[in-house]
Amino acid sequence: MRLRWWGLVGFVVAAMVLLGVQPIRAQDGGGDDGGEGKDSFDQRCLDCHDGSDATLVFGNGEKRSVDFDLDAFNISVHGSSNPSGYLSCYDCHGEHPFPHESGPYATPRDLRLELNARCEGCHSYQAELGSDSVHAVAMAAGNTNAAVCVDCHGYHDVHKPGVPRAEISLTCGTCHTDIFAEYKDSVHGSALLQESNPDVPTCINCHGVHNISDPTTDLFRIRSPELCAGCHANKELMNKYGISTNVFNSYVSDFHGTTVTLFEQQDPNAEVNKAVCYDCHGVHNIRAPDDPESTVLQQNLIATCRRCHPDATTNFSTAWLSHYEPSPDKYPLVYYVNLFYKVFIPGILGFFLIVIIPDAFRRFWGPSHKEGEEQEEEIVDVD
Amino acid sequence: MSTEKSTPESDRKMIFRFRWPERIEHIILLISFIGLASTGLPQKFAQNHLAESMIALLGGIETVRIIHRVFATVLMATGIYHGGSITYKLFVLGQPPYMLPRFSDFTDLIKTMAFNLGLSKKHPRMGRFNFGEKLEYWAVIWGMGVMILTGFMLWNPIATTRFLPGEAIPAAKTAHGNEALLAVLAIIIWHMYNVLVARRNLSIFSGKISREIMEEEHALELEAIEQGETPQPPPPDIYRKRMKRFVPFAIFMTILLLAGLIWFVTFEQTAITTIPPIY
Repeated sequence: MRLRWWGLVGFVVAAMVLLGVQPIRAQDGGGDDGGEGKDSFDQRCLDCHDGSDATLVFGNGEKRSVDFDLDAFNISVHGSSNPSGYLSCYDCHGEHPFPHESGPYATPRDLRLELNARCEGCHSYQAELGSDSVHAVAMAAGNTNAAVCVDCHGYHDVHKPGVPRAEISLTCGTCHTDIFAEYKDSVHGSALLQESNPDVPTCINCHGVHNISDPTTDLFRIRSPELCAGCHANKELMNKYGISTNVFNSYVSDFHGTTVTLFEQQDPNAEVNKAVCYDCHGVHNIRAPDDPESTVLQQNLIATCRRCHPDATTNFSTAWLSHYEPSPDKYPLVYYVNLFYKVFIPGILGFFLIVIIPDAFRRFWGPSHKEGEEQEEEIVDVD
Repeated sequence: MSTEKSTPESDRKMIFRFRWPERIEHIILLISFIGLASTGLPQKFAQNHLAESMIALLGGIETVRIIHRVFATVLMATGIYHGGSITYKLFVLGQPPYMLPRFSDFTDLIKTMAFNLGLSKKHPRMGRFNFGEKLEYWAVIWGMGVMILTGFMLWNPIATTRFLPGEAIPAAKTAHGNEALLAVLAIIIWHMYNVLVARRNLSIFSGKISREIMEEEHALELEAIEQGETPQPPPPDIYRKRMKRFVPFAIFMTILLLAGLIWFVTFEQTAITTIPPIY
């Protein structure tokens, strides 16, 4: 049945394109669709729903307007700008004979969840991706408030997602209000929301889009430094902001980073208590390191260290090289100890070789040795 | 093989060199050194593929750290024993301080070089421990000092930074790793060459050394042994008198140092205990 419908839709659209006719909805005669074409079908819906002040009453007593905003729909991705033709009411709402049955749904949410299932019909790839996301898991566990397609994308007024970019985080923020409140003042969030910065991460850059995984797992934690490094080790990107790209390498070469990296390689689901980027820098509330509220500002650092090392004294925080490469200016003691060994090790080993090499030559290739060999040969000859 | 054929009978005569406590001490040192190196170097070069496989093989980084600390404890205990044993040898048995560096060690080195380069026909005649062995002994003393000091700082970073600036910790880490590298390379190059390549001298395992090697490496000691001029243990009454002072002192020092060792390894828990991760 549906295939035949789609064939018809395709034919109509093709015909209109060929004829240079824009599909203008809510006008009769979009094509010769034989009476039950989608325009005439939709027109019958619009007769009531366009500008209606009727309400739908749900089983729990909640009411929703049945008004349909045709203009908003027309400019949506499913409206007249859709390259494969606009969607018909029927495509999502199904056959809905008039007069409609009243109140088969207990709550507006029930209705929304049922209609949401229609998205999969066309967007199967995204639906598949989302099928084991945190939201799907929460839904399966009985949390009907977990986000479904239309919660983020809208329904009649679906727009191209992520335009402008800030919309992404604002969308997540509609449910995740506490996290959004932290994020909006963070170095990333404020740049996104106030400066429309194209490079800072929105929620989805770290959490993914449809296949959002649980960020509280050990695996997520152990892999998080690589997530940060995705941008922070990108020279081109970081040069724009004068941020060092050595942060990842310097992290990996220190205690915490070495351990976390090894676990990531060998046992990524292990519970690791060594610090990852966000333990020190914050998660959603990450500040620039020179921000007075930054958790890694030298004055605040000891408090951050104490979250894991409760007995740490003030000096302890400077045991961490703050991502710096030791130099005569930064951490000179470390620099000079290293320099000492850079001279000392080759010096000692060089001395060993100076003593050993002539000894080996004398012993194994020297004149007396050759003599000895000849003598042995003689003995063998005599034997 | 063939050299043995041409070796005179007297050269193959074995001479007693190390008593069993010294041999056991060397075996413990050898095991703990290999244990420390094979669990320590992979930590220093953790990003190297081979090091990473090594860590995986040994049961993961946390296990590797524990093994490293166990061997460190064994080695430090051996160090305490060694202190006791040299005190006994020097002050009870009255042996001369064979390991003490002398000016003749320096001239022996020069003479050996000259001999090897063909500038001299005469190989230097050396005592019980020659310059090469003294160098190695004092390198171990120096190395252990550096490793114990910096190891303590890495094992107990919070306690350390109560007294020292924070920078001391990464400096200790650098020193610990580099000193380890030096020690391993020194053992491979210097020690392995001298005891296995130049000649096979396994006297530290067997306790006996061939007269031939003695002739080359310890000619002076050989001469003394053959003339019966080796230092003799003190007469029983003097020995007993010395022991009366040594035994309480040794017990006192052992208790003190073992307590220090226990203090060392249990000083701080933060670095090894598990605090639940913060998400």
